[in-house]
Amino acid sequence: MEPVARRRALGLAAAAAPALAAAPAAFGAAPAEAAAGGAPRPARRLRTAAEIGRIRLTWEGEAYAPLVDHYAIHASRTRGFTPGPGNLIAKTVYASFSHSGMGGRRQDWHYRLVTVDAAGNRSRPSAETAGHSAESVTASGRPLATVGAFDHKSLELALAPAGYAQYKTRFAGGVDYTHGESDPSADWSYIQPGPADAWNDRKATRATFRFPLDAVPAGETWLAIWLIDTHASNPGSVVLALNGAPVREVELENGATRGSLEGDATVPGSALVPSYVELRLPASALKTGENVLTIDKRTGSWHAYDALGVFAR
Amino acid sequence: MTPSLPAPRRRSFLTLTGVGAAAFAVGTGHSDAAENAGGAVPSDPFTLGVASGDPRPDGFVLWTRLAPRPLDPDGHGGMPRRPCTVRYEVAEDAAFTKVVRRGQALATPELAHSVHPEVTGLRPGREYFYRFRAGTEVSPAGRTRTAPDPRSRPASLRLATASCAAWYHAHFTAFEHLAKEDLDLVVFLGDYVYEYGITSKNMLRGGVPLPGPEHAVETVTLEQWRLRYSLFKTDPNLQAAHAAAPWIVTSDDHEVQNNHADAWSETGIPPSDFLRRRAVAYRAFYENLPVRRAVLPHGPDITLYNRLRWGRLAQIDMLDNRQYRDGFPAGVVEDDSPERHDPRRSILGARQERWLYDGLSRSDAVWNLMGTGVVMAEIDRDTGPGHLYSNDMWDGFPANRDRLWAALKRHRVANPVALSGDIHHHVAAELKSDWKDPGSPAIGTELVCTSIGSDGDGADTDKYADLWLGNPHVKFYNGRRGYVSCTLTPSELTSEFKTVPYVSRPGAPVTTAARFVTEAGRPGLNREV
Repeated sequence: MEPVARRRALGLAAAAAPALAAAPAAFGAAPAEAAAGGAPRPARRLRTAAEIGRIRLTWEGEAYAPLVDHYAIHASRTRGFTPGPGNLIAKTVYASFSHSGMGGRRQDWHYRLVTVDAAGNRSRPSAETAGHSAESVTASGRPLATVGAFDHKSLELALAPAGYAQYKTRFAGGVDYTHGESDPSADWSYIQPGPADAWNDRKATRATFRFPLDAVPAGETWLAIWLIDTHASNPGSVVLALNGAPVREVELENGATRGSLEGDATVPGSALVPSYVELRLPASALKTGENVLTIDKRTGSWHAYDALGVFAR
Repeated sequence: MTPSLPAPRRRSFLTLTGVGAAAFAVGTGHSDAAENAGGAVPSDPFTLGVASGDPRPDGFVLWTRLAPRPLDPDGHGGMPRRPCTVRYEVAEDAAFTKVVRRGQALATPELAHSVHPEVTGLRPGREYFYRFRAGTEVSPAGRTRTAPDPRSRPASLRLATASCAAWYHAHFTAFEHLAKEDLDLVVFLGDYVYEYGITSKNMLRGGVPLPGPEHAVETVTLEQWRLRYSLFKTDPNLQAAHAAAPWIVTSDDHEVQNNHADAWSETGIPPSDFLRRRAVAYRAFYENLPVRRAVLPHGPDITLYNRLRWGRLAQIDMLDNRQYRDGFPAGVVEDDSPERHDPRRSILGARQERWLYDGLSRSDAVWNLMGTGVVMAEIDRDTGPGHLYSNDMWDGFPANRDRLWAALKRHRVANPVALSGDIHHHVAAELKSDWKDPGSPAIGTELVCTSIGSDGDGADTDKYADLWLGNPHVKFYNGRRGYVSCTLTPSELTSEFKTVPYVSRPGAPVTTAARFVTEAGRPGLNREV
């Protein structure tokens, strides 16, 4: 696809036309914004979407005329705030941002954006928009069985934070973990490789989580899998089954390919990209006594765990 | 510091530039109504050095960027947010007693106070010297040269190829030695900067403090890209290499993001967002390199492919193998998937392919060099009976390579030579007419330069040596840092693979790890050292 058609297809404004289109050739190197001058326009239609552990922001704004250096994202827990250095949470050139690391409890935030162009000119702040994160079952539910702590760290799990090369020998037959008997630091690998991983001989893998139930819960039973990171370009999917009955295949989000080497996403500036899988388990598949949850990785590369658990809600 | 630049008189400006007073333009070096824009200039604004590029028979482009505090986190280098006039002069001698051109350019905050004046009207095939002045501050002088007359048959061309200059992985000792060679041209083949955050985990440049937290994150915004270029360009050896000879440049992936293909990002950034990133990355690329105004990006698009002639001795086609390429054939970097062989796949894009084949068809040069960021030769990466290829290189686009081979044969192109980088190893290879038949004739030669700094000290041989040398058309492998120094004459191309034994600390000597001679009319590699 030619560039202009591609930009239209992506919904982007046309790039700044070369200035020579409207001026003598000798003026040809002046970017459009140089002639336009003044402050850029603020971002428009700032929207928020609630997700577990994060609030996803999207907005509309010029990309190329003037060329946007970045959007400065200001956030506050208080309505009617004034943007300033103390509430600047991020800068991005994209028209979206994920305000993450909020944990399982719902959090409420207010946002305003300032557009900064290539010349350093700053727009007036955008209109303020409110948003909140979604409550995780790890906060609202009652834990029935868990592995690890839901804390955006993999450090308490086996081989963490960077021992992936030992998976092949330590977990040759996959992970097989029994709640109440197994030890997270020895028996649940922080990383589960996939068939794209040469370091595990490109094998599909299975993680098995065995947990007892005195009785099948009367209400809903939920599974929560928190990941500290996945492979950036090929995270693959996980196929979930409970007591042999298929539950769902879940496509994993792209991560940053850092969770195989680092285990703490709470470190300031961490490149890790946590993601969350939470879904209701079918009551018909649950049973009194030992239940067996299997997590099969048949496509893509590895994912790295933060924690896993089954909750009553 | 060079002597003070005398204040040029207005009449001399108009005489020397040959353009009217109304025709001065922002950042280009042409005249402008505001001859003294900007008021006072902060002291010591030339911290990023000077450069020249794209030599033509009648001139070249000059470059500098005003940055009195180059590491200010906002990327503006400590400059006030207003335009500033920068004057330049070009002389035939290092003492500037024979000044042949003077001009001025307007440095604006939109372009991070960079200027790219294009100088014309000079004599072909000649050495020149240049310097800038902003306010009362005078830059160091640079040496450059014009290309020979296009009808001439120069006796030689001395060039060096370089790539992959990860500042945080190395002292730029390789650039230090490159700058001391008597070169006509430097061919830079991509990865001038890297996007990765610089932290204690990847900081291998010994004896240097870890840069601040603003450097510890991946570069996404324009201010981050500008800061990244500033950090790298504060290196005195890189500055010396720029000041020693004109450069021609192309980009590879790290000028935007590892492994990117057009608007596709390996980290799943949606194309609409990734193009915004590409736009600021390319803007910073333009602002920091000696390239002409035709290279100024339009939004996310930049025209990098470029043709240079060195008389009738050499034609150099600099290729852009990132911006127009198709994505990974089956979504993975390495495989031998059927999709890899899709005849529609292109690493150059249809327009650039047509431009390349058309240019090759018209070439009357003895040597036809193609500068491409990634390796062109087929490299089977499975050392056993299977087959595995890197789809990030030309191996991901065999149909495009076949079309190029067909064009070389159809137009009887003389002495094709691929100049590439990317892999952080020196490799010399023959370009075979049939990759599956080691006995088939070579149709050209590939000289892959190792990194200037990426991957630290390295070693003469390493775990990748068997992989590369397992391909019979690969004649040489070395895993040290360095560059390739070439001398082209009408009868032969001599390539010297230069290495340094360490880069984690400064001061390493340079060694010629291998020397090959390629005879005109006989593609291939004859090893001398």
